[in-house]
Amino acid sequence: MRKKLLVVLLVLVAVMMFAFANGQDENKKEELSIWTGYPEMEPFYQHVAEQFNETHPNVKITIVSHPLREFEQKLSATIPADTVGDIIEISTYSVKKFIDAGMIPENPDNVVDFMTTPDRFSDFVLSACHYGDKYYGLPLFLGRTALFYNKDMFKAAGIENPPTTFDEMYEDAKKLAKYDDNNKLTVSGHSLRLSGSGSGLGEKFWFVLFPMGGTILEEGATEGTYHAGYNNDAGFNAVRYYLDAVHKDKWDSPEIKHDAEAFELGLTAMFFRESWVIGDAAQKVPDLNYGTAFVPSAARWGRITNLENLYVTRACENPELAWEFAELCLSPENQTWMLDNIGWLPSRTDVDFSESIAKTPQLAAFIDSPEGYDEFGYIPISCFDEILTKFSERLSAAYLNAKLDTDDAALRKWLDDAAKETNEILEKAGMFGE
Amino acid sequence: MRNNNSLGSSNWLENFFLSRGVSRNKLKQYIFAYVSIVPIFAIYLILRILPIVRNFIYSFFRAEIGNPTAHFIGFQNFIDLFRDQLFLLSLKNTTIFALLVTVFSVAISLAVALALSRKTKYGPFMETIYFLPVITPMVPVAVVWKWIYDPTYGLLNYILSFFNIDSVAWLVYPKTALAAIIIMSIWKVVGYNMIILLVGIRDIPEIYIEAAQIDGASRTQVLRRIIMPLLRPIMLFVFVISTINSYNVFTQVFIMTTGSQGAPAGAVRTLVYDIYENGFRYFKTGYAASEAIVLFLIILALTVFQFRVSKEED
Amino acid sequence: MNKDKITVGRVVSVVLLFLGALIMILPFLWMLSTSLKPTTQILDWPPKLIPETFTIQHYFTVFQTVPFGRFFINSICMSTLSTVVILLTSVLAGYVFAKFSFPGKKFLFMAILATAMVPFETYMIPLYLSMVKFHWVNTFMGLVAPYLVMSYGIFFMRQNIKSTIPNELMDAARIDGLGEFGIFYKVVLPLMTGSAGALAIFAFMQTWAAFIWPLIITSSKELWTTELGLGMFQFRFSVDMGPINAGSIISIFPVLLVFLFFRRNIMSSMTLSGMKD
Repeated sequence: MRKKLLVVLLVLVAVMMFAFANGQDENKKEELSIWTGYPEMEPFYQHVAEQFNETHPNVKITIVSHPLREFEQKLSATIPADTVGDIIEISTYSVKKFIDAGMIPENPDNVVDFMTTPDRFSDFVLSACHYGDKYYGLPLFLGRTALFYNKDMFKAAGIENPPTTFDEMYEDAKKLAKYDDNNKLTVSGHSLRLSGSGSGLGEKFWFVLFPMGGTILEEGATEGTYHAGYNNDAGFNAVRYYLDAVHKDKWDSPEIKHDAEAFELGLTAMFFRESWVIGDAAQKVPDLNYGTAFVPSAARWGRITNLENLYVTRACENPELAWEFAELCLSPENQTWMLDNIGWLPSRTDVDFSESIAKTPQLAAFIDSPEGYDEFGYIPISCFDEILTKFSERLSAAYLNAKLDTDDAALRKWLDDAAKETNEILEKAGMFGE
Repeated sequence: MRNNNSLGSSNWLENFFLSRGVSRNKLKQYIFAYVSIVPIFAIYLILRILPIVRNFIYSFFRAEIGNPTAHFIGFQNFIDLFRDQLFLLSLKNTTIFALLVTVFSVAISLAVALALSRKTKYGPFMETIYFLPVITPMVPVAVVWKWIYDPTYGLLNYILSFFNIDSVAWLVYPKTALAAIIIMSIWKVVGYNMIILLVGIRDIPEIYIEAAQIDGASRTQVLRRIIMPLLRPIMLFVFVISTINSYNVFTQVFIMTTGSQGAPAGAVRTLVYDIYENGFRYFKTGYAASEAIVLFLIILALTVFQFRVSKEED
Repeated sequence: MNKDKITVGRVVSVVLLFLGALIMILPFLWMLSTSLKPTTQILDWPPKLIPETFTIQHYFTVFQTVPFGRFFINSICMSTLSTVVILLTSVLAGYVFAKFSFPGKKFLFMAILATAMVPFETYMIPLYLSMVKFHWVNTFMGLVAPYLVMSYGIFFMRQNIKSTIPNELMDAARIDGLGEFGIFYKVVLPLMTGSAGALAIFAFMQTWAAFIWPLIITSSKELWTTELGLGMFQFRFSVDMGPINAGSIISIFPVLLVFLFFRRNIMSSMTLSGMKD
């Protein structure tokens, strides 16, 4: 007993020494810290840091990455307390509330000039950074969706090309689905997002809703107001699309695997996802024979575009230096490096990525922007996440409800109820408008 | 008599208590108690009580980013709360969860602890095995259980097929999803309770048990008459913390419902998950704080109730 | 009669015990198996418990991708300090609450117990702001601060002391002329090594598993813990299964060792020879 006590005390002493050793300041160099919510981006920032240190050898650059869900919690604690890093990389959507609270400084003029150079960024991307008459943040990379399809399965089913319309996609899915002896689905024709928490389910639904002519929130008559944009025929058709898939023609089912995992295992022939799947598949299933295509069209044509921007925070003591680093991240060479090595899509449209596309042809469907292929995205209002999350929960219950597939009136009522909730949330936030 | 004053307390203080009929002995005990408790309580004040109270105060305000006390709205948060369907759903789910997990996990861990209280060759090995789920991080646990519950290839359905029971899509449908997470949570916590009960059982002086056995008591009689009553304070502990922990369940719900294979969120929505969403996703700090207060009051009521039932004398 | 009786009940209970153990160990086996599988096999469906080919690459990846060694040391220091302080405060406070009455006792105990009923995430931000005031952000003290006390610990020791130590024992010691601190040190402590050992395990385990607080309080990787390090392998949409499981196996060991160390402690405090049939 005595000996144990002694050991413990010794450890305690060692620990306390360690504790105080940690609290000392290193010799003062200039420092820049970058915080990101994407651990896979670390190598990118290190690459940029090396370049930066060539011209600024006295600057110590620290990169801290966090799992995304906790990153938001951390920012909500550190941004108001000004203990946040110098540069943060975060979506335009998530940062809006901090901008509204006046905690994020606007972009300096030289950065604005950089951004507004013609053809550098698409109109949609620029507008997502533009609030009132000020610009915030520098777009670094994009999250876009495309259709992934298994070439071997397509060939086996006798389908030559990936679908270009949603109707085509439906018919293809019917042909591609496989069943076992008990008529249970083993391979889905297309892997829809049918379950899971958060707003992801609603977001994936939006991929179908938008081409069909609807959207989550439509702008109201007065500026700054909105209302539900899915309580219409477009919404009806989109939900029916899912319901028919699960209950009528049964080419997808909540009981089998979904998403990238299913695609990589050969348990589905197609699905919608972002470009990170390319890198993931290269690592896990390098022999998978797949291709990518644009999201099919229906009444209109478009895919979601999410921006991840770099922001220099109020807590930064060296904003000029920080913005310099940020702009360096956007050099053509670094944008290409990011595309080739990390897999996230570059934000600039005035750089030639054809070499990268030649190396990895699946990138074409993400980067190319043919005429008429629209972009849409999250509306940067504070309650959007709440609206989308609650809508997602309703959707996941609806998908399991076979009755909604045959009973038109019930489906219309379902849309009414969901829209009512959406509009109530808007009302509470003072943003509702017909 | 003067020499008995080993702690050298001031005369004034001594006289204060002595004049109120408190014996010198009692005084020494009071001093020991306060000297021990006050510094510890001070630490609690700073690290726990003050932050909690601050958070509770936020519940009377509507927050803005960085300014939780932006607009005073009195009890409005609480009124909204009880009209909130999601809150009521979370309340229902969490209560069912807490009830079932507590009852079953305590029962099972008691059985295991009793079985392991004898000295056996496999005892230590078993204890370690049963403790493993407690220390395994949630990510691998969630993955394994999602596999166990898989509709087509899952272990559970495989076992059920031997009893001619059809495959169930455990995590897909709301009715079974909650049951699935309850089973997993019981699994994770049995080892924890077991250790506590084992310690309690082993601390019972052998003399009592030997005496009973010499008197010819059977094993069940020993169990009922000697062990269980002496185990009362420990049982109270296990029930109370089981209740508290179950009401505060969060991590496993979060992990089992995320991603594309997740359980339907509504079916397994719990109170802390709801608080988390309101506080950290929608940044309704005051609203989340009001929910935290309600959660706290519920747990407090249950705890006081359990103390009463166990007839703890103080 | 004190002979070993093999009853049906006994057999059934042993069988159930072993079956239960099998279920308990399953995730651990899966973790081990995944950590030794090459990435291309990890995705196999249905999963195979025994890998076709073995690789220890993931264990190297863990140390190469992140400064896991540093994280490990941080976690050990943090958990050890936390355990020691929790033991000290809990045993003392538990003893006082179990065996003494004084004005304000019920209130103080309930106040402390009440803090256990509030989930950490709800008061995490106000606590963080206090840390800012103390200049403890991104320091070791800030990291370990919330883990210096454990309400359950006080409650646990109180219950155990209540059921183990009769008042008569203390009274006898008082008559013998022992001061209160003397009684605590010489009479009470030696009797509570079993439950103190269990508490040590729980405290260590809880602090080791901490995630959200270390994430918020640190701004540089130098202070990260192993749990945070493991989080690095959880990307936006996918999880690097190989390294995360390898890292998990590595990170389980300290807790397991603490368990085994204190388990002997628990076992040796009182052997229940009287329980043999």
